[in-house]
This record gives sequence, C-alpha cells and structure tokens, in this order.
Amino acid sequence: MKRRTIGIVDYGVGNIGSLERSLSALGYRCQTTSNPETLAASSLILLPGVGAFPTAMAALHDHDMVGFLQERAQSGQPLVGICLGMQLLADSSDEIRETSGLGIIPGYVTALENADWHIGWNTLEAASSDPLVRPSDGRTVYFNHSFVLRTSPEYVIGVARIDQGMTPFPVAIRRENTVGLQFHPEKSQAAGLQLLTDVIEGLCRAA
Amino acid sequence: MLRKRIVGVITVKDGWAVQSMGYRRYLPLGRPEILALNLDRWGADEIVLQCIDRTSTQAGPDIAMIERVAQKGLTTPLIYLGGIHTAQQAVAVVHAGADRIAIDAMLTDEPSQVHEIEANLGAQAIIAALPLSVEPAGLMHRNYRTGALAPLSDTVLELMSKRIVSEVMTIDWRNDGGTAFDTRILDTFPLADIPLIAFGGLAGADQLRGVLTRKSVVAAAVGNTLNYREHAIRHLKKALGDLPIRAPSHERRVDH
Repeated sequence: MKRRTIGIVDYGVGNIGSLERSLSALGYRCQTTSNPETLAASSLILLPGVGAFPTAMAALHDHDMVGFLQERAQSGQPLVGICLGMQLLADSSDEIRETSGLGIIPGYVTALENADWHIGWNTLEAASSDPLVRPSDGRTVYFNHSFVLRTSPEYVIGVARIDQGMTPFPVAIRRENTVGLQFHPEKSQAAGLQLLTDVIEGLCRAA
Repeated sequence: MLRKRIVGVITVKDGWAVQSMGYRRYLPLGRPEILALNLDRWGADEIVLQCIDRTSTQAGPDIAMIERVAQKGLTTPLIYLGGIHTAQQAVAVVHAGADRIAIDAMLTDEPSQVHEIEANLGAQAIIAALPLSVEPAGLMHRNYRTGALAPLSDTVLELMSKRIVSEVMTIDWRNDGGTAFDTRILDTFPLADIPLIAFGGLAGADQLRGVLTRKSVVAAAVGNTLNYREHAIRHLKKALGDLPIRAPSHERRVDH
C-alpha cells in the first residue's frame, strides 16, 4: 500500500512533535510545514493547536494560512483539526475577545457550560452513524480544553459529557471531508491511535 | 463521564530518575525516558516529569530532558515541573513535548508571568504545584528553597480563585517517599472548587481510594512505588475498578 503523506500545518503553535511521532508510528509520512504547495500535495492536512483562539488565528494569518485552508477544504482535500485546531474551523470565538475563525464549519466557539475546564479522560459518544467515529463509541480519550464549538447537529458526529445527566457537547464534527476532534487522539493511547487511523483512512478513501 | 486519573510521577535530580524520601535523600532509579516509557505502556493517565534541582540551581527547565522523553513517542499526556520562571520558558517546554506545565516558585515570584502563560497556552495547561503540610497553625505552604512554612499567600490564592491555573497538585512533602498521605491537606484546602491532584506518600490502592473518593480530588499522583512492580498502574486500576477511573486501554466501557 502506498504510504499516505500527512501535511501538518506549522504555524508556531503547540506541541507538534507528539503528533508527528504518533503518525509516523502508524506508518504515515509527515511533512510539517507552512508551505502551501507541500500541504496541498499531501493526502490530508492536519491542523493542530494549543492555547488561545485569538493568538492561534493571528498566527494562521501571519503564515498566510487562512485563505489557503479555506480553499483546500472547499476543494475537498481531507482536513482534520485537533483540539484548538477543531475550534479554529468555526466561524468565530468569544475566547478573550470576539475573533473570526476559518469559517469552514458553521458554528461558534464559547466557554463550556457548568464547568471551568474539561481535563482528563472521558468517554467519546458517537452521535451519528458516521463511520469515522462510530467504531470508537464508548472509548475513553484525553481532553484538555475550556471552550467548545457549538454547531448544527448535522455536523456533530461525536459528543461527550462531563458528568452523568449533564448536557452533552460536540467533541467530533464533520462537514464533508473536514473533521474536527476536540480531544487529543495522539495522547489517548491505543484508543486514540485507532481513532486517528479510522479518521485518516476514512477521509482519504472518501476524497 | 470524566474519569479520575492515576498519574505516574518521575522525580529527576542531576538528570537521573531518583526515588525521593522527603526530598532529603535520594536513590537512583535510572534514565527518566525509560521510566516514562514504562508508565506509558502500563496505562498511566498522565505522566509528571518533576525535575527538582532546576529552580534552586537557576538552570531553567530541562528542555533536553523533555525532548528525550518526548522522542520516545509517548501516547500519554506529559506534564513538566521544574525550573520554569518565565512565560517564554513555559512555551518552550510545550514546544519541546510537554502537554501541560506545573509551577511552584513562579506563582509567588512572578505572578505576572503566570498570566502571560495563560494568554499563550491557556489556563488548562497550568497546574499549581504546592508543597503543603498541616501544622498546629493550619495549612502551610513550604518554600522549598528556604524550608520556610507560611500560609498560602494572597497572590497564590488569587491565581487559583481567578482560574489562572486549572488544577492544584497538593504535595504532601512531609510524607514524600513514605507510605501515607495526610488527607487533612485536602480537607483543609481553602478553595473548595478548584480540582486537586493528591501527591506524596500515596502507595497502595486503599490510600488512593481514600483520596480519590473525595469530591475535590480529580487525580492521585504516585511516584516511587510504581517502579517496583511491572504493570503497577494496571494492578492499581484493577483494584480500584469500582471508582470512576479509566479502564485499562484495551477494555471498553460505555456509560451513556
């Protein structure tokens, strides 16, 4: 089987090394870069992210990535946003101040309800029959965030809830060949690596 | 639902993983990256890399050490503690491979820098590491550079109450390396709604149960005793299976 190449967007935000090592361990070739041609030539673009929404969007603008990522998503190239990278796919966020996002998946980012943070291991609940996340229904994955992307149910493929009886919130979203994962699959041991494989292979086959 | 965590702690001195007894005596255990790999394979929920000589020597965080550990390809979240004095250093620690940072001296020395870290990495990445003990005068915070004991300062309390840090690692320094944890530290902690990570002297399942059943405690951190039994974390999790903890990664549990 031809090795797929994952283009990781390098815009100076977060711990990219963990993602590179996990993807390499899964047999993928990684290119960490902000070069549009290299990213466009990859099988799938991965948008990581750690920290605050406005800082990350400013960094994407600084690296001329905003229009490029919007264009690649529109063209159907598989795109996966992880953690803050998922939130950046939204129209806007009110974290610190109102900031426009990439606008690839309709929705807005706002603080969690009933909790300051969502830190630790929690159950991923499949919210649709989407084959990317359905096999991971009931698995526990690692979260570390305080804001959440609110979007239309049609885009929600996975949810989590902080406590029994609490309203679930989106933690996995999909619009065509763009997927957002609020958790860290690369830091979720065997369950996370299996899900990451399912998402990458599923998207690449669909493209 | 969100699980309570069992955290493996690797204490590092002079570049070597050590067994610490009260932060006074140390026995060498080996290379930190090998111990981290073990904890990763055994299913720890998080790993803390605690470099205890970086602040006193003003050496800054051990970036090379973090990189060596990260290069092992851990799939477990890594928390780094030791020598962080500036926001720039905190960001460098995350770039080197840590997922979260823990800070102690910086909370009192450089509170403005803690705010700067929050702006760069988010409060969810910041843990306050507090060496504590219960004395006749109440709960005391130990300055590990001077050995002085004092009540938690207003500055530290404000960082916690304003949610500039997301969790507090309550370190029972008196029982470090021993076989008991003073639960009065948890019960007298002045802020009821900040999530606590209990650490220091925790060994067997019964002790972990004693802290993890407290509402304010989200994690129990274990150091020395994990190094004396293969798959120690899995054994602990099996013994604590009735608590809301994550099952070993090969098991599946649906709770919705």
